[in-house]
Amino acid sequence: MMTTIPVDNTIEDPRRRSPLVLGHVEFGTVTEEICRVNEAPKPPKAWYVSLVISALAAGMLLVMIGYLILTGVGVWGNNNPVMWGFPIVNFVFWVGIGHAGTLISAILFLFRQKWRTSINRFAEAMTIFAVICAGTFPGIHIGRVWLAYWLFPIPNQMDLWPQFRSPLLWDVFAVGTYFTVSLIFWYVGMVPDLATLRDRSNTKIKAIAYGIFALGWRGSMRHWHRYERAYLLLAALATPLVLSVHSVVSFDFAVSQVPGWHTTIFPPYFVAGAIFSGFAMVMTLAIPAREIWGLKNFITMRHLENMNKIILVTGTMVGYAYGTEFFIAWYSGELYEKFAFVNRAFGQYAWAYWIMVSCNVAIPQLFWFKKVRTSIWIMFIVSLLVNVGMWFERFVIVVTSLAQDFLPSSWGYFTPTWVDVCTFIGSFGLFMTLFLLFIRYLPVLAISEIKGVMPAADPHAEHHEPVDTLGQEVQE
Amino acid sequence: MPSMKHEDSGRSYWRSLDELADTPEFKTFMHREFPAGASELMQEDRRSFLKIMGASMALAGVGLAGCRRWPEQMVLPYAERPEGSAPGMADSYATIMELGGVATGTLATSYNGRPTKIEGNPDHPGSLGATTRYGQACILDLYDPDRSREPRIATKERRTKATWDEWNAFSADHFDALRSSGGAGFWILSEATRSPSIESQQAELRSQFPKATWVTWEPLDNTNEAEGLTEAFGIRVRPVHDLSKAELIVSFESDLLNIHPDVLNLSRDWAAGRRPDHGSMNRMLVVESSLSVTGSKADDRWAMPSSRIPVLVARVAAIVLGDASIAEPFKNSGVKTPDAGTIANQLKDAAGRGAILAGPSQPAFVHRLVAMMNDALGNAGTTVSYIRENAESIRTASIRDLAAGMDAGGVETLLMLGGNPAYDAPADLEFANGLSKVKVSIHLADQDNETSQLCTWHLNRSHPLECWGDGRGWDGIYSVQQPLILPLFDGRSPVELLAQVNASSSPAGFDLVRKSFNKVNGTSGMAESFDPAWRRTLHAGVLAGSAAGTETLKARGGGLASGARALADTIDSSDAGLELSFVADSSVYDGRFANNGWLQELPDPLTRLTWDNAVLIGPSTAKDLGVGTGDMVKVSAGGESVEAAVLVQTGTASGTATLALGYGRRFAGRICTSSGFDFYPLRRSDAMWFQKGASITPTGGSYQLGTVQDHFAIDSVGGKGTAARLPVLFREASIETYNHDPDFVRAGDHGAHGLSLWQAQQFDGAQYRWGMSIDLNTCSGCSACVVACQAENNIPIVGKDQVLRGREMHWLRIDRYYRFQETSPGQYDTDQPLSVANQPLTCQHCENAPCEQVCPVAATIHSSDGLNVMVYNRCVGTRYCSNNCPYKVRRFNYFDYFRRDPLRETGLLQVQPDYYVKLQSGGDPLRRMQFNPEVTVRMRGVMEKCTFCTQRIQAAKIKTKNEWVKKPEAEKAAAKRIVIPDGTITPACAQACPNDVIVFGDLMDPDSRVSKLHANSRSYELLGELHVKPRNRYLARLTNSIHGERFPQDHSGGHGTSTDEHEESHG
Repeated sequence: MMTTIPVDNTIEDPRRRSPLVLGHVEFGTVTEEICRVNEAPKPPKAWYVSLVISALAAGMLLVMIGYLILTGVGVWGNNNPVMWGFPIVNFVFWVGIGHAGTLISAILFLFRQKWRTSINRFAEAMTIFAVICAGTFPGIHIGRVWLAYWLFPIPNQMDLWPQFRSPLLWDVFAVGTYFTVSLIFWYVGMVPDLATLRDRSNTKIKAIAYGIFALGWRGSMRHWHRYERAYLLLAALATPLVLSVHSVVSFDFAVSQVPGWHTTIFPPYFVAGAIFSGFAMVMTLAIPAREIWGLKNFITMRHLENMNKIILVTGTMVGYAYGTEFFIAWYSGELYEKFAFVNRAFGQYAWAYWIMVSCNVAIPQLFWFKKVRTSIWIMFIVSLLVNVGMWFERFVIVVTSLAQDFLPSSWGYFTPTWVDVCTFIGSFGLFMTLFLLFIRYLPVLAISEIKGVMPAADPHAEHHEPVDTLGQEVQE
Repeated sequence: MPSMKHEDSGRSYWRSLDELADTPEFKTFMHREFPAGASELMQEDRRSFLKIMGASMALAGVGLAGCRRWPEQMVLPYAERPEGSAPGMADSYATIMELGGVATGTLATSYNGRPTKIEGNPDHPGSLGATTRYGQACILDLYDPDRSREPRIATKERRTKATWDEWNAFSADHFDALRSSGGAGFWILSEATRSPSIESQQAELRSQFPKATWVTWEPLDNTNEAEGLTEAFGIRVRPVHDLSKAELIVSFESDLLNIHPDVLNLSRDWAAGRRPDHGSMNRMLVVESSLSVTGSKADDRWAMPSSRIPVLVARVAAIVLGDASIAEPFKNSGVKTPDAGTIANQLKDAAGRGAILAGPSQPAFVHRLVAMMNDALGNAGTTVSYIRENAESIRTASIRDLAAGMDAGGVETLLMLGGNPAYDAPADLEFANGLSKVKVSIHLADQDNETSQLCTWHLNRSHPLECWGDGRGWDGIYSVQQPLILPLFDGRSPVELLAQVNASSSPAGFDLVRKSFNKVNGTSGMAESFDPAWRRTLHAGVLAGSAAGTETLKARGGGLASGARALADTIDSSDAGLELSFVADSSVYDGRFANNGWLQELPDPLTRLTWDNAVLIGPSTAKDLGVGTGDMVKVSAGGESVEAAVLVQTGTASGTATLALGYGRRFAGRICTSSGFDFYPLRRSDAMWFQKGASITPTGGSYQLGTVQDHFAIDSVGGKGTAARLPVLFREASIETYNHDPDFVRAGDHGAHGLSLWQAQQFDGAQYRWGMSIDLNTCSGCSACVVACQAENNIPIVGKDQVLRGREMHWLRIDRYYRFQETSPGQYDTDQPLSVANQPLTCQHCENAPCEQVCPVAATIHSSDGLNVMVYNRCVGTRYCSNNCPYKVRRFNYFDYFRRDPLRETGLLQVQPDYYVKLQSGGDPLRRMQFNPEVTVRMRGVMEKCTFCTQRIQAAKIKTKNEWVKKPEAEKAAAKRIVIPDGTITPACAQACPNDVIVFGDLMDPDSRVSKLHANSRSYELLGELHVKPRNRYLARLTNSIHGERFPQDHSGGHGTSTDEHEESHG
């Protein structure tokens, strides 16, 4: 049964497919290694340190929200032309981050991209947490937070409904649906693994807790059958949502008539940007996680390289969109539209624009080189820079367009306040807190699925070795 | 006068409820006796009534009142309704507002005895229904929490609160003693006033205190004019202009459209000559040292230092009068002036149809020359006439004499009726220093201000809306000032105080005014209630026929050459040092309105600066000095220096710095403290208006100036973008271009936009289509409309900190743009603007309103009349509507601005939570008394914007419909709809405007004024290419320059290329 395992599984050999799991031949060791993350009596020190920092930041978020609600939206830097500032920038940023998870788990699943199995679980978790952060912002950014429920179509005695022509309302539906489906998808996928943890748990509390969420999973054939059907259906359901949610978020801008917002390219451009930023965030989380919890055999260099390729592709798409916006602005000859884009690149916010372009377009081009694609440190830095760049993209779109629109008399300049900054940092705290708790208490990788992509899972491995060894290339 | 009456009805049901509740508020209420309780009486409204009803629930233990966000207030309703008043219905009373000795007629609106709004009095010739921004804002002063609330007395050791009884006791003894000595050492310092009541008290004073001296002090008085005209005519006269007959107006630094006692008439008459559709259009030439409101509307404007304008006037006068000797002394002065021949020829061409005016900065001789020229050209009698000033009724002296007297110790008793000389007297007189040598100084003032704090006695003055008084308009017409409310803090008026000094038998304001009315009217007897003339005067606000007759005068020609020589000697033609020029501030005038939040937050018409003044210098001078906007500098002149911030302002003559007076008050009012810089220390009695040889040196510090419109350097991306779109946003052309092509404004349109994807059905069955027209040609940018809107619609002030964050709340703003001469491609001369644009902007009430479409909760919707209405109750504050508004006229309540202290400093906790602020400042009910009960006070987190004064529309609708139901059925059946007659509804902005810039009405009525103006060929929609279908239209500005068209490139089809070819791209 011993197959020769190449140490470097990024090598493209047309004769044989590179393995997706390294160092294992037995299913049992896979279970052991992954469950170790949850079952180790003490998590690594890095976990404690990160959790304390994150929890403090999350606490700061709560304090900021409390202060905001007590005092008024004026504690932020939003002003008269720039009515939307950090909160909406952060909202779009977090929703964008929340794209990768469902893309990986749903679209790549449907396309039979088996390398997804090593990363889908925590990418989905990341999605859930990012959408939680994203959902916080529109809720608190409104002037009368206590009336936020008026945005929902709740039957009431006044027969008063929301205004269905408003993209903000579509947002409520799009993000709400996306969150719900992503959560169910994530949870359904986790059921067999929760059962594994239940079965292996050494304390009563764990057994009960995992037991409740494992929904009585026994691993029978019928269970597996139903499970796989459900998973497939959910994947099919989630796939259009990946495209719809950010398209709808982009309608917030595209449907308005603000120069720099009123653009038909926004939906595809936003989706590409969202996938781009989502993958960058997966990288940012995966690289330290695989180091700390020793998951290098599952999240291999090949996985990282594949994701880098997606970053390269989507980054280039985003760059193309930037170019198209400029071309159309020039080609339209429209006074205000032309100004909006010239102003973005050379006006008072040029600094933000060029941070965005360098981080999102220029730097990912490094991934044309395999050396860069497979260098842990470089890819980590690039992923961080892409996160920065994508945040600035939202900043550029939201703030520069509003700051200088039609009437020069009303132009202004947006300066964030300390509350803005602390709230933003706090949202990272919330995100990281949830993520760290997830790593410690839930199966961080999809144990059952990983087993499915191992050579050992293939009954015909002996006969068709060159063809059936798993690990396909992403089609670019 | 419902407010004056009080029926003490004994125990009432409501009161006993409160007694049962035994709240501390009730106890205080019971403790206080009228008239102090008058304020509580005024606060009754339906909501309070319901709350008291709710109190019975509280007593039954059902609930507690602690969780409410609206303030608790007590109520005491009428047991019997006073005759002639209906609760909740507003009444108007005619009264006056006196500023600088000139009374302007006003109508004060009162709700249940609580004055809330000031309007112009249509029957008063000085107002004709319009108001200045000061007139609008003075209602807020009535409710200023920093008003002085009681007299104060200073002894050697300390200053303490005193009572009026103590004062009465003191004054009886003191003035009796003075009377016996004939008033030796008794000086009275008064603000300028032409109140006949005060004049008769003056006469009384002379008989009782023959040795007393009367000093009148107004820091911004045009004393040079009075002096020059006295020289010219031999008697004291005042010029009354009728600019509606003027085809040419020449102003030598007279800010006649902004700061002039008769500004409403001057402005209205100027505007009357700017309606080209009614015939020709006047031309205004302005020479001034820094850009003024008048200069911004000039057809031709020259900037030169104030000190050198006399040279130009002399040269013009030499040509006009044909007397070369006038210009002779200036021949070798080396002073360069604009071409005097051009101005002189213009004047000659318009002989008899021109008007020349000179401002207070110009020396007396210039005013004399101006009078000579008006005379010689035949303008006198048509565009300008003269009325005789009243003879002095008492020995008078100047403030300089008073200062000398105080310094020499000759002033024993100084009675100051208003004013604030310790703050605004010329610095070299060292008034404060002299005041300390006065044995007994008494200051009657509305605030415990700089002067009061140095005086032995401070007496709190009643607000003009609290006391009887009278005054005369610029043309001498007599008006009575009647109170609308009992003095809130038991103050006294100047005339009452004088009567007390005179030991008058009836020192009540009413009796005094009634007496002087009889004197003016030539009647006698005090049969008050049955005197129809008195009643008519009170009702109409003016005594018909009381205006002074014009004098037929001939200017005296002698001594012109010697006068010119004397003037030439004073002209410093060297270029050494800078010239400082002192001007009145558009917001705070001479400093008296400094504690008025509306005015502090009112952007300057030109610099758009709020809450501060600054050293205004031109771009090239700033470059030479190495300073920029926001840099702190030290301004030194005549041994004094002041540190202040610089604001680089186009239009300022090179080598001059303009300093607006009135800021940097040291009196600790909560509005004015720490706002702006006090330039009075630089103002000397020998250089009241300008001073040569000053220096400005940067100190290295910087200062944040709260301008509401950001300044983009012309060579920045923003500046270029502004320059590119101005021809489309603000359309203007010369009168020649207009005559040649009346449809020139269409060149700025992107193309026809008649096509729509769907049929507009939203106005099916509409009864009215409200719309507005704004004439850019006659708008001077004076901003009275902005304050009127603020007063009418309960718009809060937000404070400098919030202005810096761009959160000002004005529903109506006046945008200001400059266009500059392009010297070479991409290079502009920014020192002097080629054109200054003022564009009032309200909600445009778009038919395709972009704000409505994006609101997720349907908080902004369309009424069937086409009003874009804002439902505050429904608004959750997503602010999406404002983002999508291309005009950016929506305003968001980032905080509870009415509860928040506007002076809150930016710090770590830049703002404090509401509950804390409420503890600090929210408890004062004074501010609430001004609120218009017809308009909701908005809470934080909701959007607001111009409503076209929907409350006024609604009132007119109800009234019309009530009359409609009484009409015969046949008539009702024949009419298609209930027509509200045109002109019935006037929004607050339109009502305040003297120039009739804003016209509001029903577009469904083809004969309404607004329909006709919308059909005018000059009218255009702002950003109409967005197809939002605004209900406002602008009438393009026309200029009448000597040099013809200012922007030929706009009208040659040149700028259209970038837009016209893409007309399909919208919609």
